[in-house]
Amino acid sequence: MQLFFQDLVNGILTGGILALVALGFSLVWGIMNIINLAHGTFIMLGAYVTYQLFVSFHLDPFLCIPIAFVVLFALGYVTQLSIINYVVRAPVLTTFLLTFGLSLLLENVILLIWTGDTRSVTTGYSGAHLDVGGITIPLVKLLTLVIALAIGGLTQLWLARTKLGRAIRATSMDVGAAQLTGVRVAHVYAIVFALSAGLAGAAGSLISVSYAFSPSSATPFLIKGFIVCVLGGLGSVQGALVGGLVYGIVETFASQYIGAGYADAVALAVLLVILVFRPTGIMGRATA
Amino acid sequence: MIGIAGNRVAILVAALAMLALLFVPLAKSDYTNALFRGILMYGAMSYGWNVIGGYTGYVSFGNVVFFGIGAYAAALLATHGITDIGLSIVAAMVAAALFAVVLGIPVLRLQGHYFGIATLSIALAAQDLISNIDAFGATNGLSPKAATLFGAAVPYVVTYYAMWVVCALALAGTYAVSRSRLGYALVAIRENEGAAAVLGINPTKYKVIAWAISGMMGGGAGAVFVYANSYIDPATAFAVDNNVFPIVMALLGGVGTVAGPLLGAFILTAINETLWNHFPFIHTLFFGAVIVIVVLFLPRGLLALIAARRSWSLYVQHLRAYRV
Repeated sequence: MQLFFQDLVNGILTGGILALVALGFSLVWGIMNIINLAHGTFIMLGAYVTYQLFVSFHLDPFLCIPIAFVVLFALGYVTQLSIINYVVRAPVLTTFLLTFGLSLLLENVILLIWTGDTRSVTTGYSGAHLDVGGITIPLVKLLTLVIALAIGGLTQLWLARTKLGRAIRATSMDVGAAQLTGVRVAHVYAIVFALSAGLAGAAGSLISVSYAFSPSSATPFLIKGFIVCVLGGLGSVQGALVGGLVYGIVETFASQYIGAGYADAVALAVLLVILVFRPTGIMGRATA
Repeated sequence: MIGIAGNRVAILVAALAMLALLFVPLAKSDYTNALFRGILMYGAMSYGWNVIGGYTGYVSFGNVVFFGIGAYAAALLATHGITDIGLSIVAAMVAAALFAVVLGIPVLRLQGHYFGIATLSIALAAQDLISNIDAFGATNGLSPKAATLFGAAVPYVVTYYAMWVVCALALAGTYAVSRSRLGYALVAIRENEGAAAVLGINPTKYKVIAWAISGMMGGGAGAVFVYANSYIDPATAFAVDNNVFPIVMALLGGVGTVAGPLLGAFILTAINETLWNHFPFIHTLFFGAVIVIVVLFLPRGLLALIAARRSWSLYVQHLRAYRV
């Protein structure tokens, strides 16, 4: 029973970071109807920015989160206005290939700057953990979960309460109607894409503390982003949170009881089953 | 798209190019053979993708799975003593087609992004599964013995001719599909699946057939690759390059055309080879840029560009088409 609760806790802790991984991805998919295959690479960029700040200036990785967010936000804004904006209404093939090309390009840039070596950010408190009734809770992962939830909450608040947030939600419902009411759709899309990239950067910062990473770690995170979105439905903060937690728990139990080597295969099988039987996600709303 | 059968001149040129490719081994250069065998391999895979992604409009992002299944089917046969290359190609095609039918029935119900993701996950899951199964050599892979044909040992260059046969079959198969009721049904499904169903076309049946044909083309290429490479492991069989190159090639040449994939395979292999030779460290960067440029400026492929003649206005038109 103890093992069961330990797995459950581990699953929830993993789920928090996965929710943040998926949130940005989900916003772009839900609002712009674009699957951004470069999202995983954006996350890795966030991780490497954090790594560099940690190595060069001994900055605490948790303090790097706003910096990674801002750097990636800027990159996302420029990418959207200069490239993605030209394919916003294009068919799936176009957007898939374009963002895949972008991810190749960025991954090579990462390789050139930071090489292909596996990196990790190890702080003085990396090994610290809490012990609650025999269940071990790593301090770093707990902090990561709290921060991920806080970022998700802030995003939700921003989308719900600000004028720009309302414009974004209006655009996601009906582009034409939003334009008629004076929303500058190109600007809204650029902000959404930038926000998504910024969230990826923040997720990357958090990942760098808990996991070792290399440029090729982008794909697993991208795939998990997919799965979480499909589980939770698109374009909403709550969906990403629920999807992230559910998936984190499923993944942890799968590697415990089926074998760690099969964890990804199990995850993909779960994804396929859900896609086939419930294509709009567990709590999803219908989208094209 | 240039009509259903594509441009007749382009098809003729493609057929002549295939004939010319028969004479490549006369140069007696291992490098040249390997280079052109690569073109034929990607050509066959690109034709495979084109049947489902081009004609049928179901954008698969996991067609590499057929290549991998074909490769492993041939490698498994070889470890059981069957090294006949002709038999291996047939077995690989059958295995890939069966896989396509079994998975296609549930997965081809999905559309758009969801179909893309589902196919991508199938390819990743297949790689994961094979990496864990000892009978497939797990992550160590399998090394088959040299190929034979009708019980006799054959020289290595036979792998080139075998790849030529697979690519020629894929080209001929695509031509046949484009001229048949099947082809018209597929295009009808691509343009409007609901309307096609109203006209009496059973979408599920035709989509599954299209995916099975698609699988056979990729599977055949995989079988020959095993003998050309004399080694296969999950990372090679399901490589991202093998997944994406065929798609970009079809896009570059012309999606849903008969000549497009071969043209794309020629050009992209030439670009890729040049980049590798001159910029080994930033090769991927350039390649990513090539993809971005092709998608932005040539979304309808080179064949459409040649057909349109007024090329400059076409660039601008493409760039404006999907902007907000």
